[in-house]
Amino acid sequence: MKRFVAPLIAIASVALLVAGCSTTSTGSSDGKPVAGGTLVYATGDAEPTCLDPHVGGNYPQALVATQYLESLVSKNKAGDIIPWLATKWSESADGLSWDFTLRTGVKFTDGTPFEADAVAANVAHLQDPATASSTGYLALQKVTGVTAVDRHTARITLSSPDSALLDSLSQPWLAIESPTALKRSQAVNCESPVGTGPFVVTKWTHQQSISLVRNEGYTSPPADAAHTGAAYLKAIDWRFLPDSVSRYAALTAGTVDVIDNVQPDTLVAAKKSKDLVALDAPRPGASNRIELNSSIAPFDDARVREAFIRSANVNDAVTSLFFGTATRSYSALSSVEKLGVSEPKLFGYDQKAAATLLDAAGWGTKNADGYRTKNGTVLELDFPVSTNQSIPAEQSLFEQLQATSKQAGFKVNLHPLDLSSWYGALGKNQYNLVSAPYTKVGPDVLRILFDSAGTKPAPSGYFANHSQVKDPALDALLEKAAQTSDQTERASLYKKAQEIVLGGFYILPLYDQQNHFLRRSVVSGLRAMPTVSTPTMYDAWLSR
Amino acid sequence: MSRPAVIVAAAVLAFLVFAALFPGVIAPGDPLAIHPLDSFRAPSFAHPFGTDESGRDIFTRIIHGTGASLTIGLSATAIGVGLALILGLLSGLGPRWLDFGTTRFLEVLFAFPGLLLALLFIVIYGPGVVTSTIAVGLATAPGYARIIRSQVRVVRRAPYLEAALVLGRSPAHRLVRHLLPNVVGSLFVLVTLGIGQSIVWASSLSYLGLGAVPPAAEWGAMLSAGRTYLGSFWWMTFFPGLFIVLAAVGTTLLGRGIQQGTRLR
Repeated sequence: MKRFVAPLIAIASVALLVAGCSTTSTGSSDGKPVAGGTLVYATGDAEPTCLDPHVGGNYPQALVATQYLESLVSKNKAGDIIPWLATKWSESADGLSWDFTLRTGVKFTDGTPFEADAVAANVAHLQDPATASSTGYLALQKVTGVTAVDRHTARITLSSPDSALLDSLSQPWLAIESPTALKRSQAVNCESPVGTGPFVVTKWTHQQSISLVRNEGYTSPPADAAHTGAAYLKAIDWRFLPDSVSRYAALTAGTVDVIDNVQPDTLVAAKKSKDLVALDAPRPGASNRIELNSSIAPFDDARVREAFIRSANVNDAVTSLFFGTATRSYSALSSVEKLGVSEPKLFGYDQKAAATLLDAAGWGTKNADGYRTKNGTVLELDFPVSTNQSIPAEQSLFEQLQATSKQAGFKVNLHPLDLSSWYGALGKNQYNLVSAPYTKVGPDVLRILFDSAGTKPAPSGYFANHSQVKDPALDALLEKAAQTSDQTERASLYKKAQEIVLGGFYILPLYDQQNHFLRRSVVSGLRAMPTVSTPTMYDAWLSR
Repeated sequence: MSRPAVIVAAAVLAFLVFAALFPGVIAPGDPLAIHPLDSFRAPSFAHPFGTDESGRDIFTRIIHGTGASLTIGLSATAIGVGLALILGLLSGLGPRWLDFGTTRFLEVLFAFPGLLLALLFIVIYGPGVVTSTIAVGLATAPGYARIIRSQVRVVRRAPYLEAALVLGRSPAHRLVRHLLPNVVGSLFVLVTLGIGQSIVWASSLSYLGLGAVPPAAEWGAMLSAGRTYLGSFWWMTFFPGLFIVLAAVGTTLLGRGIQQGTRLR
C-alpha cells in the first residue's frame, strides 16, 4: 500500500492544480464556459465497423468511444496514472492480484449501476473469443479472472505479475460498458454501445455520421478534467469526411468545428489563419515505422535488412513532405514514451554501406534495369500500403524511399490497398515491408509487437508482430520487464529489448504517429486525453 | 466546325503523338527521379510546370505520361471496337434468335453506366494498367456494337450486296469486300471521338487509384496525387488536367472535322 501514497498525493495535487488552472485560464483568455450548442467534428480516420471498441480495437473506434465510454483509470499530462472509474487500487505482495475500489454513485446511461460485477462482465467480454477483440484481448493476456470482493471492489487476478496492467486499463479499448447492454447481440451493441461517459450515442448513420447527445446525469469525469457535472455541449455531430481537402475546406467554411488527420501543408496554411487553432497530440505506443518481414527471403538475412535501411533516405523525405510538422524518429517507441531508446547511428543514410552489405549477402549482380539479382532472382520487395491508415504525405514518403532504395538495387513494389485487402496480404504472409500503426499506453507495446507470440493471430485474425521477430532472448527480456514493477530494472530491461530490435534492423523508424487536430477558435476547452491522445469533448464549449 | 479549329486540334494531337513516341526529345529528364529537397516548387524557368511532392519535374512527367495515356486510350478503344464488331456482326447478320439474344444482352449492359461496368470489371480482376484498359474497352463496347448492328442491317439490304449474292460470291468475300468497308467507314469518326472519351475514363480510373500505380507518370494518377495539395499547390493538378483536356478536346475536334469533311463529300 505504501507505494501508492506518493502517487496519490501527486494525483491530488495535480487535480487541484488543474482545477485551479482551469478557472483562471478559461476566465482570462476564453471567457466563462457556455453550456449548449452542437459541435460538429469531422474525422478523416476510417469509419469504425463497430462502435464498441472491445470488438477489434483500433484508433478510429477509440476516437469516438472517448466521448461515450470511460475506463477504470486515466493518465495525467505528467504520465502518472490517475483515478477515473476506480478511485483507488492496490497490488498484492506477489503481484498476482489487484484490488480496485470503484467510484460510487455512477450509472450507465441505460440505468444500470456501475459496480464490481460490471468490471467482471467487461473483462469476460474482452476475453470471449466470440467478441473478436484484438487490442483489449492482447492487453489482458495475463488476466485469469475478476471477482467482486464487494459491490464497490473488484479484484483482478493474474497468471503472472503485470507491470503494464494500469497502462492497459487506461485505454479506450478496455473501457467499461454496461453489462446489461453487453448481453444484447453484438450487432446491436456495435450500433449503440452503452457506457458511463459524458455523451450518449443516439444514432449512427453509416458512411455519414454518428449523433451523440449530452448525458445529463453524468458524474464521473477523470481526475484531470477541468470541470464536474454534465458536459457543456448539448450534442456532437460526428461526421465521416475521409477526403482531407474537403475536410479542411469544411473547417475553413465554418460548417465543421474540429477536424482530425490534418495534412502537413494545411497545418502550415492554417497557421496564418486567426480562426484556426492547431492541437498536436502524438499517439503513444509505437512510433510510425516500416516493418521488415524477417520470416521470408530476402529479409531473413539481417545484412539485407540493414542494406535496405541504409539505402532509404528518410530524412530528406520527411523534410520535403512534412514542412517541419513531424520530427524524425530513431526509436521503436513514440516520443511520449519515457522508456523509449533512440539510436540515430543505426539508421544513417549510406548508399555505399548498403552496396557493400548486399555484395556480402550474395546479391552482387545487377540486371539491365539496375536491380540486384541472386541466382536469377530479382531483389524484389512487396510493400502493401493501407490507404486507410496512411495519409497521402506518408504514401508519397514510401514512393521516395522506393526511389532511393532503387539506387542500391532494390525493386520495391508499392501496392496501395483498402483495409480488408491489406489485412489479407498480411494474413497470407505476402509482404516484405509494411507500415502499421500500433497505439498502446506504455512500453509494453514492445511485447505486443516483437514477442514471438505476436506472430500468431488474435481472435480477430490480426497479428501484431509484422517483422516476425522470433528471438527467445528478446521474448525473455520482454516477459521479465512486463513482470517487473521496480522502475529502474524495468527501464533497463526495456532498454536491452529495444537495442535488440533496433540492432537487428527489424524496423525502420520514421516519426511519431501523427495526430494533428485543427479547431475553429469558437471552440474552447478541447484537449487530447493523455492516455491515447484521443480528443475529449467533455470540457469543450462553443462561443457562438 | 471551322477549319482553323481542326488544324489546331490536329497540331495538338501531332504534338502529343510525338511526345508519346519520343518523350526524351521534348523532356530529357527522368520522370521518376526524385529531388526531395526541391519539392513543391512553383512553375519557374527550371521547372515550367513546377515540381510535385517528391521534387519530380511535372513537365517531364506529363510528357513521359503521354505515351501511357494515349496507349491506354487507343487500346481501350481498339478493344471496345473489336468486341463491338463481333457483337454487331453477330446480331446484324445472324439469325433472328441470335439478334434477339445479342440485342437484349447489349440492353442489359446499357442499363449500367459505362464507368460502373468498368469498376465492376476492376473489382473482379484487380486494379492495374492492363485491367483498367480492358475495363474501359468493355465499358465502351455496347455503344459501338449498337451502331455497328444498325449499320450492318442497313448495308446488308443494299443492292450491291444482293448483286454480290446473285453473282455467287462467298459469304467471306461479301463480308470482307462489301460489308465491312461500308460499316467501318462510318465507324472511323466514332472511334476518333471515342479515343478522347477513353483517355478521360482511363484517367478517371487512375484518379480513383484503380489504374496506374504510383509513382508511374500517368495523367490521371498525377491528378489524383495533386488533389491532396489542391489548396496549397495548384500546379500539381492544373497541368495534368490541362493535358487530359487537350487530348480529349483534340480528338473530339478532329473527329467532328472528319465527320463534316466526309459529309461534304
